[in-house]
Amino acid sequence: MTGPSPERALPDEAYAAALCALPGLGPRTLRQLLDEDAPPDAWAAVRSGHRLDVPGMWRPAARATDVAGLWATLADQGVGVALRGGAGYPGPLNDDAQAPAVLFHRGAPTIADRFPRVGIVGTRSATRYGLGVAAQLGAELAAAGVVVVSGLALGVDGAAHEGALAGWAAGRPGSAPPLAVVAGGLDRVYPARHARLWREVADAGAIVGETPLGGAVARWRFPQRNRILAALCEVLIVVECHPKGGSLHTVRAASSRGIAVGAVPGSIRSPASAGTNDLLADGCFPVRDAADVLVALDLARAGSEPIRPRRSRTGRGRPATGPDPLPTFVGPPEPERWAALGPTQGTPEDPGEPPGSPGSADADPARETSAGPQRLEEAILEALGWERCSMEQILRRTGESLSALSLPLERLRDAGRVVTDGARWERC
Amino acid sequence: MIAVVPSATLTGAVGRSVSVEVHVSNGLPAFTVVGLPDAAVRESRDRVRAALLSSGLVWPLRRVTVNLAPSGVRKGGAGLDLPIAIGLLAASGELPSDAASDVAFIGELGLDGTLRHVPGVVALADCATGSTLVVPAVDGTEALAVRPGDVRLARTLSEVVEALKGTRRWAPIPAVPPGSARGHPSEPPHTDGHAQGRPLDLGDVRGQRLGRRALEVAAAGGHHLLLVGPPGSGKTMLAARLPGLLPDLSRSESLEVSRVHSAAGVPLGDAGLIGRPPFRAPHHGASAVSMVGGGTRSMRPGEISLAHEGVLFLDEMGEFPAAVLDALRQPLEEGVVRVSRARGTMSYPARFLLVGAMNPCPCGEGGAPGECRCSEAARARYAQRVSAPLLDRFDLAVSLGRPDPEELLSGQPGEPTALVAERVRGVRALALARGVRSNGELAPSELERCAPLGAAAAGLLERRLRSGALSARGLHRLHRVARTIADLAGSAAVDECHMAEALALRAGRAALAIGGVR
Repeated sequence: MTGPSPERALPDEAYAAALCALPGLGPRTLRQLLDEDAPPDAWAAVRSGHRLDVPGMWRPAARATDVAGLWATLADQGVGVALRGGAGYPGPLNDDAQAPAVLFHRGAPTIADRFPRVGIVGTRSATRYGLGVAAQLGAELAAAGVVVVSGLALGVDGAAHEGALAGWAAGRPGSAPPLAVVAGGLDRVYPARHARLWREVADAGAIVGETPLGGAVARWRFPQRNRILAALCEVLIVVECHPKGGSLHTVRAASSRGIAVGAVPGSIRSPASAGTNDLLADGCFPVRDAADVLVALDLARAGSEPIRPRRSRTGRGRPATGPDPLPTFVGPPEPERWAALGPTQGTPEDPGEPPGSPGSADADPARETSAGPQRLEEAILEALGWERCSMEQILRRTGESLSALSLPLERLRDAGRVVTDGARWERC
Repeated sequence: MIAVVPSATLTGAVGRSVSVEVHVSNGLPAFTVVGLPDAAVRESRDRVRAALLSSGLVWPLRRVTVNLAPSGVRKGGAGLDLPIAIGLLAASGELPSDAASDVAFIGELGLDGTLRHVPGVVALADCATGSTLVVPAVDGTEALAVRPGDVRLARTLSEVVEALKGTRRWAPIPAVPPGSARGHPSEPPHTDGHAQGRPLDLGDVRGQRLGRRALEVAAAGGHHLLLVGPPGSGKTMLAARLPGLLPDLSRSESLEVSRVHSAAGVPLGDAGLIGRPPFRAPHHGASAVSMVGGGTRSMRPGEISLAHEGVLFLDEMGEFPAAVLDALRQPLEEGVVRVSRARGTMSYPARFLLVGAMNPCPCGEGGAPGECRCSEAARARYAQRVSAPLLDRFDLAVSLGRPDPEELLSGQPGEPTALVAERVRGVRALALARGVRSNGELAPSELERCAPLGAAAAGLLERRLRSGALSARGLHRLHRVARTIADLAGSAAVDECHMAEALALRAGRAALAIGGVR
């Protein structure tokens, strides 16, 4: 090495990022290295291999690394680097025992310092109910000024972020942008289907992750991601999860930090709610709407500035604890989209009209349409209940023929009262 | 001396008339076969010699030349043994020269002089010239089905010779059920999706309202059907009952089907001709050649031709190699398959009703929350195993679930095949009146004419097209299915409710699409 190295002019973050990019250097080792030394010194130690407590295995990779180039790439990509305890690093993470030493981010992760934070997580294969609830909670919490923290995954995570974006974009003063914690490198959109959501979350709030650029999504990264997610939350909500689902990692990470965990109750027959119902049985607090979460948040922040929720619905509310509630939501931004998904919504009552009677299976469709498409539509809704039903189940429960039911089903679909994915039908 | 004996040979599934000319002259003893014989024909010399000697006849120690005319056509198979032997006997003076005039012969010889089975007798008998035809007794039913009046049967070469000399009567013609010679056998052959002779009845299927309805519409309109469902949801059970709903084959269809089956060496059953729609269910290990036909020498018809006028059932469609599935696309459109090889091109009929069955995902649960353990990527890969253009060719796609245990165990039988088949016949008759054999064959222009859409039905279609739930590609197919459904309901017009049902019967395709509930 001859002449003055241009690397001398680089900031600490550049060396930290270079350390992250070393193959096989995990979060724990990184934390150890950076806890002891400033990043340039740690980098020099790894590179020279002179220090006994630093294994020599990274020396070749470190020597081949162009720190300045790496730093330029990060700048090109618009990815920021924050060091623990440094500027731009989310405050709540600072004191966590397992906090990442280096955090890559798009957007401003310091929103975590300014707003209360609630994590919403759940299964990737969520039901429509779970997706609806996640979106509703996301929207209501964001509108109430809570940063919704989630993982941008398929299913519940994505729905929560969609909702949070809608709640934030509603533009009310006091609403909060979303924060995402991802497992892969910030230049690798995963899942690819969420490219748009990814961009919007980064623009509105922030995306953070500890994986260097180009780092592929690996299996072990998800539990690691979950620990950051949990550490960033004040309250964690599980919307839907399976008894052995990955969301339980996050729940464990949260409970070990003493963070309150709430779960959304679901049907005891729905496999997607089995994990959340287990959590409720284990003593997690039930989440029926955003107000429940805000109360929990209030308790979590006891001593600090209270957040006083106001019930959006009448009839079930607890009295507000103060006369001057925070600017909470007036209603979800798109009520028609989520309102019907609430679990407490009753089935439409239509006294006098019994559900489809078995025995009319051979009725011809023409007669049926004249006899009462209304009756058939009611019978279909009755048969659907609030489950996802296959066509076969609908036919069996109503006792009607496909010919008789097809048109009422299409009418209900046009009216936005049922949705289908082709295989199954659901009320909405 | 020279003798000319008419016979026939098989090229693919098509018979070709062949003249066997035998010339016997003085010279060094020799036996030459000319006229593009294949190995089996060339070897006939040894079989014929042994058979003649075993039958107590004389093998001429002279120069023998056998010419198979027309000499440009390749001749294959051992069916020319008998005509060569007869020609030899006639040319060498063992038989009176007028005894075998205008008699055609088909048959393979055993070394002991017995006459053996020859594949493709239906096609051969159809084209062999000559006022009478002599075939091995084992092939009697097939030949009789095509040429009821002028077939003679024999079990051995000596029987043939003695009968030709007039010293013995021909073997008796077996009593065949009277209807079967007309091409409508009462006993269906076992290629028909029937287990051990007993027809599979739709009455055995419990529950499955959607699947049964889809089956009925598929049979009535000749619409290709895709069954998507988890293992144990009854896909195979339903598909095997589809042929039972189809009407009997007409005389000409029956002949065509029998010819293909006979040429492929598939036994035609006791009745001689295939009178019921065949059911073919090749395993997913099938090669492209075994599916569409071909082969290095024989140009054998493939499974799609064996399913001609019947049902081709592809179970576990996602497991078939992509090349095999895509090879089906052209025959599906044209109804024939052209197999081209260096030695020539063969055309086989291949107008079949395609029934595909597949799981919605590798584990079979189709992304059902909590039940399906497949990753999104695995499901997407699985859905892509069947190419979109092939999926587009399914008019009907239904998503089946596992049957309700209560319904399975209840004694309530479903509607029997006979009742449904009656309705199917009615709809098929309507299609015939429109000039096609089934509604599935209606050309777009005819569709406008005989199935005009009402304003409400058009409105429904427009809404679905606009919402992206439907693509323009499937529009005509949907329209045809709606026509069939209206026919089943006895309605002259295609109304909104018929279109809605057609949409419902197509919805299963979406179950294969990636994205699950979103």
